[in-house]
Amino acid sequence: MAVEEFEPRIVAFMCNWCTYAGADNAGVARLESPANILPIRVMCSGRISPELVLRTFREGADGVLVMGCHLGDCHYSSGNHRTIKRIPLLKSLLGFAGINPERLQLEWVSAAEGPRFTQVTKAFVERVRTLGPLSEEVAA
Amino acid sequence: MMDAGRHPNITLMTYSEVEEVSGYIGQFKVKVRQRPRYVDMDLCTGCGACVEACVFKKGVPNEFDEGLSRRKGVYIPMNGQGVPMKAVIDEDACLFLHRGKCVKKCMDACPTNAIDFDQKERLVDLEVGSIVVATGFDKFDAARLSAYSWGKSPNIIDGLQFERLSSATGPTKGEILTAEGIKPSRVAIIHCVGSRDENANRYCSRVCCMYALKHAHLVRDKTGAEVFEFYMDIRAFGKGYEEFYERVQEEGVYFVRGRGAEIVVLENGKLQIKAEDTTLGIPVAIDVDMAILATAMEPQTDADHVAALFGLSRSADGFFQEAHPKLRPFHTNTDGVFLAGTCQSPKDVPDTVAHANAAAAEALVILDRGEVLISPTTAMVVEERCVGCGDCVLVCPYSAISLLNSKAHLNSALCKGCGTCVATCPSGAIEALHFTDQQIVAEIEGVLAWQ
Amino acid sequence: MNEQPVPSIIEAIRQTVAERLQELDGVVALRRSSEGVAPHVFQQGDDLSELEIVPRYPLTTVVSRLHKSFPEIRLGIVARGCDERAFVEMAKRNQIDPDRLFILGIACTAEEAEECHCAAPFPKHLVVGKPVAPGSPNPVVAEYDNTPLAKRNAFWRRQFAKCIKCYGCRNICPECFCEDCAMEDPAWVEPGLLAPPFPVFHLIRAMHMASRCVACRQCDLTCPAHIPLTVLYDLMRRDMEATLGYIPGEDIKAPPPLSVTLNEAPLLVNTGHMD
Repeated sequence: MAVEEFEPRIVAFMCNWCTYAGADNAGVARLESPANILPIRVMCSGRISPELVLRTFREGADGVLVMGCHLGDCHYSSGNHRTIKRIPLLKSLLGFAGINPERLQLEWVSAAEGPRFTQVTKAFVERVRTLGPLSEEVAA
Repeated sequence: MMDAGRHPNITLMTYSEVEEVSGYIGQFKVKVRQRPRYVDMDLCTGCGACVEACVFKKGVPNEFDEGLSRRKGVYIPMNGQGVPMKAVIDEDACLFLHRGKCVKKCMDACPTNAIDFDQKERLVDLEVGSIVVATGFDKFDAARLSAYSWGKSPNIIDGLQFERLSSATGPTKGEILTAEGIKPSRVAIIHCVGSRDENANRYCSRVCCMYALKHAHLVRDKTGAEVFEFYMDIRAFGKGYEEFYERVQEEGVYFVRGRGAEIVVLENGKLQIKAEDTTLGIPVAIDVDMAILATAMEPQTDADHVAALFGLSRSADGFFQEAHPKLRPFHTNTDGVFLAGTCQSPKDVPDTVAHANAAAAEALVILDRGEVLISPTTAMVVEERCVGCGDCVLVCPYSAISLLNSKAHLNSALCKGCGTCVATCPSGAIEALHFTDQQIVAEIEGVLAWQ
Repeated sequence: MNEQPVPSIIEAIRQTVAERLQELDGVVALRRSSEGVAPHVFQQGDDLSELEIVPRYPLTTVVSRLHKSFPEIRLGIVARGCDERAFVEMAKRNQIDPDRLFILGIACTAEEAEECHCAAPFPKHLVVGKPVAPGSPNPVVAEYDNTPLAKRNAFWRRQFAKCIKCYGCRNICPECFCEDCAMEDPAWVEPGLLAPPFPVFHLIRAMHMASRCVACRQCDLTCPAHIPLTVLYDLMRRDMEATLGYIPGEDIKAPPPLSVTLNEAPLLVNTGHMD
């Protein structure tokens, strides 16, 4: 019996100035990024609260990527300082609660890093594919 | 400097310090404390008669000559060439002000009766639209690195002191002389004193390689002495710089590639420089008559205080932080406050001129435009929900939020719309316009409809 | 032999409160009445034989409301170690005024320390009682690193399935001060739905408590479904200490680490994003 391959749904939060532009850069260069990546633009990765990430998982995302500027490059100077503290902490918490922490990933992608965007997203999609759907992990 | 002094739209407030800054872009209120000069600026002609007449012959170290000469209690700054070219009385040095005992010959000598010992300090309130911080740098104190024996011989000097020796208005009228008053026959120049050093400052001070080359050139030219330059790298990055380096090499300066590690003051008064010559792979010890230390440029010792006054951040190296290292090197995170010159990072004259010109232009644009463009995605406080915890105040990179009556208060002129405060507030009492939680949640629901 | 009997802790604290009431506007503590034990502001002239120290009840919210309603009031409070730590964190968030709060610290007993697996069962401002040794660590927490993900998953699914959203954990928490709670925000927690498969409710609270939880264990004791919430919060506290060097309630001068820049509160551990 043929089994449909699991296509993970990954919501990727991208900061406007770096990652979103980097994704655009990848597109303009005609580099292929996986369609599993569902982008949501915010002004700064610092905007991403734990509540938003948790709601995203609650809505059924199999993986969440939080992406922003490299340290020192934040358009708002230190927004990503809070991101780098919050997201790893939330990751740990997911792990403590028995949900695979690898479903949440923090990555820095700058506006010029089109190739890095495709590489990071491809790798993450494959990783989440091996983890399976979130619904199986949390199903009652 | 003279142009600035003469310009009708520029008011020079000398001997003054900023006490307090409040307000924001377009409407800053600055309180300035102007200390008394004890000289009436309208009457003084800068003739210098008071200086001649001053009885305090012993004087105090002259800061303009980097301590290599002395000045009296009354003086005209910058060895008579200051702007404005008017006398000033140093209340810590003046015998009358300091000890209450003096016949005040200066007052008799002054042809315009400009000296006024009753002058008081005054507090001035200014209303300005923009601010440029150009507070400069401080020299690294070589005494912090005991290996260089700073203070143990008068012939161990730093770069700025050498500049004074070489200057026609300096203590030796431009002749390069040792403390004994004779021309040196051998001079060592040591790079990176206090720079590129884990025990001092990790950064490179940028300007020293070029001025060290200049000093080598001047020593050769004025004295014919042998010059040994102890360097790690030669940073000759600017227009004409590499060509100058080649020229100095051709002038017969010896370049020893190895950090000057130690200076020993010998019995006969000479200085022995110890280093490793890394190109030959051998240790060397060279005896010289004079050692010039190319000391690091550091942030001013009161940088903490100045930063607090103007709401500036400081980079890891202690200099004032620019808004963006590449794209906005003269802006700060406080709108309307700009940085000019070495207070932001070590730089030489051409770079400082470019930096300062840019800061000045930006400062003027604000005044000319008359209005400030702000981001549409600013945050907004929902007062009923706010419990005044203050986390948002800590988080804002632009100090746009403050607590007023235990509630968060947002200055939308300063808010750039990053939304970090929104993500931080535990009560959801701040919203990001155009990026509200509801809007983002709607997007999340929308994209996850994809199968 | 003329040995004075050693006063019990309760007698000693009643004595201390009586003395301090002479210079304070009131002392917040527990009072036993015919209806039971409840928080009370003792004032001069009150019958201090009614002052109790058990059962434990976090009085921080009481102090916070009093400080806000009466901007001049100077209060004393009978406080254990966890209470004092809670005050420190609340002071950092402008919910209490440390200059108007005088801590009359009491030490917990060895039994109490063990019950709470408490690492610091006494306050710094200790007035009555002697510090006892810390309680032994919670075995579940101690073994957690060796517990595989699948086992953790099964454990918490079972635990969270019992949750009836009574909000007891939030109500009793000495650190919770928001008027509008994120856990009641329909954007995050759907109203009318119990125990959704993805435990947003519990994870939000754990994140909010990360830099604030002082391990008072009240949430555990209050939960009618006996969900061992403090296992989760202990793990978060361990993470906060390891990654940011922060212990809630330890230092009133240390800023909340998640809110300040990396220069002000650096990461001690490389999470792989320091480039």
